Amino acid sequence: MNEAIFALVSEYGVYVIFASAFLSCLALPIPTSLMMLSGGAFIVAGDLAAAPVVLAAFGGAVLGDQAGFLIGRYGGAPVIGRIARSPARRAVLTRAQALVNRHGALGVFLSTWLIAPLGPWVNFVAGATGLTWVRFAISDILGEAIWVSLYVGLGYGFASQIDTIATLMGNIVGLVAALCVAGAMVLWIRAVLRAGHLRHH
Amino acid sequence: MMSFLKRIWTAAPIATAILGIAMAIVLLLSVRLVAFWIYWADPNHRDQTVAAWMTPGYIAYSWDIPRPAMLEALSGATPRPGRPMSLQDIADANGVGVEDLIVAAEAAIAAHRRSDAEGRGNE
Repeated sequence: MNEAIFALVSEYGVYVIFASAFLSCLALPIPTSLMMLSGGAFIVAGDLAAAPVVLAAFGGAVLGDQAGFLIGRYGGAPVIGRIARSPARRAVLTRAQALVNRHGALGVFLSTWLIAPLGPWVNFVAGATGLTWVRFAISDILGEAIWVSLYVGLGYGFASQIDTIATLMGNIVGLVAALCVAGAMVLWIRAVLRAGHLRHH
Repeated sequence: MMSFLKRIWTAAPIATAILGIAMAIVLLLSVRLVAFWIYWADPNHRDQTVAAWMTPGYIAYSWDIPRPAMLEALSGATPRPGRPMSLQDIADANGVGVEDLIVAAEAAIAAHRRSDAEGRGNE
């Protein structure tokens, strides 16, 4: 699969990088990190210019995140309503919303580069739970700048072993994301247990 | 243990299910990372092979061959700035099999390495 992505990038260059960055920020399962790695490799090999690659990846990602945020803001209310039907869950959700208001910007920032697979979902949740747009946009821009620099940089630095580094990064990022999801579920379950326990007294 | 699992399943079934799936993924990826580490610690495994998606520029960079030499060896490769031609593209454009181009690229690499070694031997 790595090879198919490398072939796409060498064929369509910055256009496929822009499109995939945009779509992957809307939760479509597109391996944009892989495309940026190969973009970096083709830059150092002299086949692609650096500025178009970086701008395409960064622009696509930021625009995709903004779209996800807006979808969350204007389409997220019914989902929140369903989760909030039970009292225990409503209590937890209120606390989660308070958490988003205090630390939401940090969550957005980390989910753009460190825990990138969760990024689109964080965008939806941020929009749905009412994070202010300015805070969202600033964290998003900073985070995506790091993401693009990191992956294009890795592709640039490890160009001669691009297949290996791509597989390695895929495993590492997946592991980090799964650990974060597991951690979040543990926190949610503990909070629901505690809320239910308190109500019985 | 079982009663604990029953408790969390009753309290938050969806979250518990997601937790289970996430832990399974953590286990799977950890095993893969360890296997990856063991495999790549062996230096014999580290040679990349020339592939159809590679461009002459990429091959030149990765195997440390001068770029003009590689472009010449794969004649018909006209540089299109911004739309690099992969070996597959060159093969399709010239109506040759991509395997022939791969062989030509590997021959150019070997030839360059030989002349490099000979040059050093004469010093």
